[in-house]
Amino acid sequence: MRVALLLACVAAPLAGQSVRSRLEGRVPAAAIPVVDSLVQAAGREGLPTEPLVGKALEGGAKHVVPALIVSAVETRLDQLRSARALLVRGGDAPPATPAEVATVSGALRRGLPPPVVERVVGALPNEPRESALHAIADLVAHRLDADSSASLVIDAIHAGLRGGRLLDVSHAVLEEQQRGRTWAESFARVRDELPDVPPAPKPGEGTVQRARRPSSVSKAPTPP
Amino acid sequence: MNSIDPRVHQALDGEIPREALPPALRRVAERLESAAALLAAAPEGRSVADRVLARLHRHAHSPVRRLARWLTAPHPVTLRIRPVWSLALAASLVLLMLLPEERSTPVLGEHEGIAQFVARFPGAHSVQVVGSFNDWRTGTIPLEDRDGDGVWRAVVVLPAGAHEYMFVVDDERWVPDYSANRFVEDDFGRENSVLIVRPVKG
Repeated sequence: MRVALLLACVAAPLAGQSVRSRLEGRVPAAAIPVVDSLVQAAGREGLPTEPLVGKALEGGAKHVVPALIVSAVETRLDQLRSARALLVRGGDAPPATPAEVATVSGALRRGLPPPVVERVVGALPNEPRESALHAIADLVAHRLDADSSASLVIDAIHAGLRGGRLLDVSHAVLEEQQRGRTWAESFARVRDELPDVPPAPKPGEGTVQRARRPSSVSKAPTPP
Repeated sequence: MNSIDPRVHQALDGEIPREALPPALRRVAERLESAAALLAAAPEGRSVADRVLARLHRHAHSPVRRLARWLTAPHPVTLRIRPVWSLALAASLVLLMLLPEERSTPVLGEHEGIAQFVARFPGAHSVQVVGSFNDWRTGTIPLEDRDGDGVWRAVVVLPAGAHEYMFVVDDERWVPDYSANRFVEDDFGRENSVLIVRPVKG
């Protein structure tokens, strides 16, 4: 217990320093102390901090004024708190893991109705829901019915599909629709084929870049 | 030093006829006459020593010429080869010939996939993609328009999952990817495009 407390005392200032160093030069100086305090608060609450840092960096890159950056980070923090509350309502023992909170928060931002998220959380009590929620959110983003989408993805899990393969399910539905089938037909066809959905194709030859989180500081362009 | 027979001197001086000499002495007299003629024909100002040195220089080649001569001259070479190594070498050469010359297919991690960005910006000088995957930092993932038709492309390895992004045109214009079909409010009054990356080895 003493060791854990000592580690927490040491880790918190180090994490704070790391956040500040990531923000400096990329986020207006006026916004950094407030963003930093919001990030520290999230850390203390056991919430993920990366979405908050990412939102501040996005605002800095887009040359948004400091007040708007702080407002956006506060909004993200509220979304994370709501996501954790939903996870707990769905049956997760508090505190939910930061990764799950970030996933649920992202799904809610992308338009998934809270009752549907709660249903997925309840249906998958002991599994990561990241890919399942991404798959459902993907279908909802294409204006498919949220409940039907959730049912299909949950069926896919019951059929043995896990992790990234669930993204292949939503992709298969969208491909069926592109072939001219109705949504209902697309859902039915993919459900009949479960667990056989086409996997993502292997990368072909050609120039392929690898995304990296760079460490050097560069000037960001000004958005219109 | 060999002494010259006095009869040879007499013959060379014309005191006795050349035919009076025995054949051996007659040949000596002829060689001496020939040597005298050679000396008499030598150009003025060049001593015998000069001519000897000149003859020696003509025969002494530079190291480069000697090397060139060694390289071009035939030399016997003995090559001892085990057949098994010869076969292995031949198989390796065949394999190298069968492999494509250039392959840039990346090795993907378990939770990585391929994202293909395509955007049409005729007249643009540069297009890049920025997003949650590169901390919204410009200058890291440029798109290319190799044939100049205004269609810009990039193929990028990304972690599987959902990513928010925008295009930056000519280092100043931030534009969503309208072909993405998935958007989310960016909380700054605009919309980000959303990309779903499927893991290739999922």
